[in-house]
Amino acid sequence: MKLWRRYRLFLRGLATNWVGALGAVLTTSAFLLFLFVLALQLLGVITNAYVGLISYLLLPALFLLGLALVPWGWHLYRRRTGRPTRELLDERFAPELTRTGPFGSGLLGLVLLLTLVNLFFLGAGGARILHFMDEPRFCGTACHQVMHPEWITYQRSPHAHVKCVECHVGEGADALIDAKINGLWQVISATFDLYERPIPTPVHTLRPARETCEQCHWPDVFYGDRFQFRTRYGFDRASTPEYTTLLLHVGSGAQPEKRTIHWHVASENEVRYRADSAREEMQWVEVRRADGSYHRYTRRDVQQTGEAAAVRALDCVDCHNRVTHIYEDPEVAVDRRMHSLPLDRRLPFLKREGLGLLLAGWGSKTQAYAGIERGLSGYYARFQRRETDGLQPEIARAVDALQDAYRRNIHPRMQVGWNPYPDHRGHAGGGGCFRCHNRELVDAAGKSIGYDCTRCHGILALESTTPFAYLEPAPEQGRERALHRYLRQDFLAVRGAAAPRAGGIPLPLELHEGVSDSGRTAP
Amino acid sequence: MRAIPLAVGLLLGWLASLAPPMAVSAAAQEPVEFTRSRADTVAGKCMTCHKKESPGLYRQWYMSEHAVHNVTCIECHGAARDEVDAYVHEGAYIATLVTPRDCGACHESEAQQVADSYHATAGEILESADAYMAHVVGGLPAVIAGCESCHGARIEIDPAAPNRIARESWPNSGIGRLNPDGSKGACNACHTRHSFAAAQARRPESCSKCHLGPDHPQKEVYEESKHGNAYYTHIDDMNLEQDRWVVGIDYFEAPTCATCHMSATAKQRVNHDVGRRISWTLRPKISHMKDDWQAKRKNMQDVCAACHHEEFVKGHYYQMDGVVQLYNEKFARPAVAIMELAAANGAAERPSAFGNEIDWIFWELWHHEGRRARHGAAMMGPDYTWWHGIYDVGKHFYFDFLPAARRLGDPEIDAYIDRMLAEDEMHRWLHRPTGELKGDIRSGQLQEIYRGFFHPAE
Repeated sequence: MKLWRRYRLFLRGLATNWVGALGAVLTTSAFLLFLFVLALQLLGVITNAYVGLISYLLLPALFLLGLALVPWGWHLYRRRTGRPTRELLDERFAPELTRTGPFGSGLLGLVLLLTLVNLFFLGAGGARILHFMDEPRFCGTACHQVMHPEWITYQRSPHAHVKCVECHVGEGADALIDAKINGLWQVISATFDLYERPIPTPVHTLRPARETCEQCHWPDVFYGDRFQFRTRYGFDRASTPEYTTLLLHVGSGAQPEKRTIHWHVASENEVRYRADSAREEMQWVEVRRADGSYHRYTRRDVQQTGEAAAVRALDCVDCHNRVTHIYEDPEVAVDRRMHSLPLDRRLPFLKREGLGLLLAGWGSKTQAYAGIERGLSGYYARFQRRETDGLQPEIARAVDALQDAYRRNIHPRMQVGWNPYPDHRGHAGGGGCFRCHNRELVDAAGKSIGYDCTRCHGILALESTTPFAYLEPAPEQGRERALHRYLRQDFLAVRGAAAPRAGGIPLPLELHEGVSDSGRTAP
Repeated sequence: MRAIPLAVGLLLGWLASLAPPMAVSAAAQEPVEFTRSRADTVAGKCMTCHKKESPGLYRQWYMSEHAVHNVTCIECHGAARDEVDAYVHEGAYIATLVTPRDCGACHESEAQQVADSYHATAGEILESADAYMAHVVGGLPAVIAGCESCHGARIEIDPAAPNRIARESWPNSGIGRLNPDGSKGACNACHTRHSFAAAQARRPESCSKCHLGPDHPQKEVYEESKHGNAYYTHIDDMNLEQDRWVVGIDYFEAPTCATCHMSATAKQRVNHDVGRRISWTLRPKISHMKDDWQAKRKNMQDVCAACHHEEFVKGHYYQMDGVVQLYNEKFARPAVAIMELAAANGAAERPSAFGNEIDWIFWELWHHEGRRARHGAAMMGPDYTWWHGIYDVGKHFYFDFLPAARRLGDPEIDAYIDRMLAEDEMHRWLHRPTGELKGDIRSGQLQEIYRGFFHPAE
């Protein structure tokens, strides 16, 4: 009680004028409010990240402001009265505070005590702030609509359990400072609506892959070949599936052979390039070996227009540029949901109708959800009433799935439509691998980097009726004979080389003829 | 005993399969020239990428007869190392350009017939003075995208181009294309790539890529004619997809362009020389009979006979000959004579052809209107014979061409015109009263002037 009384007297003493009074009020109320909100958060009453902005950024700021106002008010007071400090202290503060004891005056003790409390509060608060700002929830929701598309895609990505800052900020104090300075501009641009829509990829500010990706993944553990299955459904009544099965020659960076994709990041060579700022148009690309020799491929029609971007050594993100904020291609979005069954192929023309509704160019999300609902159920009610009799639950599920595809990928307020950013893994739309593997980049001898399909993947089905169409022996006749023979030989020559018995079945004699015929193995 | 070679073969094969993958890439780097034994492997590789990268092209091929008979990418695009347009693409020597010589490797007689045809000479017209107008009045871009797209370009090799063909001459599928291998034409002018279907070339749409417009509206004339009417009405009964396509046997609802000019009849085989049934040439300023025209006319009349009685056919030719002769004698000859006088006397103001008003009037008179009239009569298009044809010719002859000729101020030309209008029965109407002329029409006297026109030219 004695302390509280003293505190009240202290406050009264500080409130020499409105500045001092305001300072005292701000500091005290900010502190108390902080404690209150913190308690609510700890108790789980409040979970909204936006409240974190208030409790961890606004309240400490007000607290500091109040602290600064107090001496400022005292200073003004002294100047106005023009009397010595001692006199003023005696006048403002009760005698029991100014009376000098064995350890100085009570006032001094109180000030020291309060300063200690302040320091502790600010220290702990600061740590809490940094911790809070490291949370994906902060990055994803604090700026509301700006980060909304990234937040949605992140939550469904393979990296959903990796914090934003682990890739976007990286390790170390300099990374932290960089990020915070960068963040200051982001606060300004978000406040005054200065940001671009859609948000450009922060490709230049990303930390080097060695500091981020390779914390978990590293070249030595990439391995062998990997199957990739793609099912594409047709636009016919039954949405008939077509299968494409690729055997990706992923390989490891530790293998010397060139025929693997991760050769690019092997330790004994360094692949470097110069490109435009978006890293989509290569000016040249070269491989440097450990002995210093290099081999360079330059664009035929060298147009050194635009800014000369810095030379860059290729790392993970040059190809894996959308490993987390993954936007689906509209057709893939439908196919995927058809494969995992929320879209039931018993509904006639579901692929065609579903894709059409997704691509309809709705003005807003609300319109889109309503439009998809009306469009699909309306179509079945009007044109396929008999065929969809009893399939109402399937129609409802299909509507949900299509709305979900829309929700995940389309963000009208950020002007994020279908395929907003290029994905450099693979070669969709002529980008990705084909940025270098194309016939425009040539070496001194005029030779380009190979870009044939079987360089990077074996193909076991290519829009075929079964997922392993070309694993069977090729027919003697038929329209796909040549394609089938070639792809089967290619697969067996790569996979079968080390194991003449594939899955316990001796390889047919025909294979060996085929192998020498294709010129794949040594004569 | 037979087991020994088999065992050795197996062993060798197994050893070969153990070779390290490095050898794979090393061996694959040597580009291959096209040989039939490798065709499948190479084509399989082509298709692997192109099925994905150019799906439309692949699909067209896949649905074609070529695919059924295992004629693949490399059989047509495979090239020898020393061909000027050959380049290495993914380990094989190929050429973008597929010429009649390439097609002729299998379609031997067709290639020969095309080479002998008037179609094959279409590119040469651009090497001659005829390209003059497009070059001076228009300009190179219009020549390339206009004239040469139908007539065919001279293919220029550009060693710096990825496919070694200069962009000025590629793409080009003109029917008389001058190819680097010396062959002429492009089969895909009619048999559109990459399905190369006979069915497509049988349809009038195939020909009307070029044969249309103000100067030779064959498409429009056909559409106006009963033949066209019947075709579009019964298109589903035309059996167009069938391999054998003999008029009167496999189909009988209507003829298409191909039916009359190329396709098989009960007596004739299909022939890719499109001129073998044409007796008149309706192209030049003054029409004349073609070499060996009697045989050619007989060939055509044989086609007609699949549906029509002999008298019907003879009647058609009687009427057609009349129109062509009318055009020739009444308008073309005097106009040509006047133009020759103007040239001989240096009467025109400017020295360049098409630099004077009269050049343009004369050009349209024969090249546009005169042809329209003749084509209309040849292919039963009444509106093209009269309103788009002789009507335009007459109007512009009397009221544009003759006044322009008089404006040249050449006494010899004036005298020619005066004599023609005064003495030539066909032109005397201009200075006679209407009532009198009407009387002559009723009495049949005016018609008598033209009685002598209903026969082929001598």
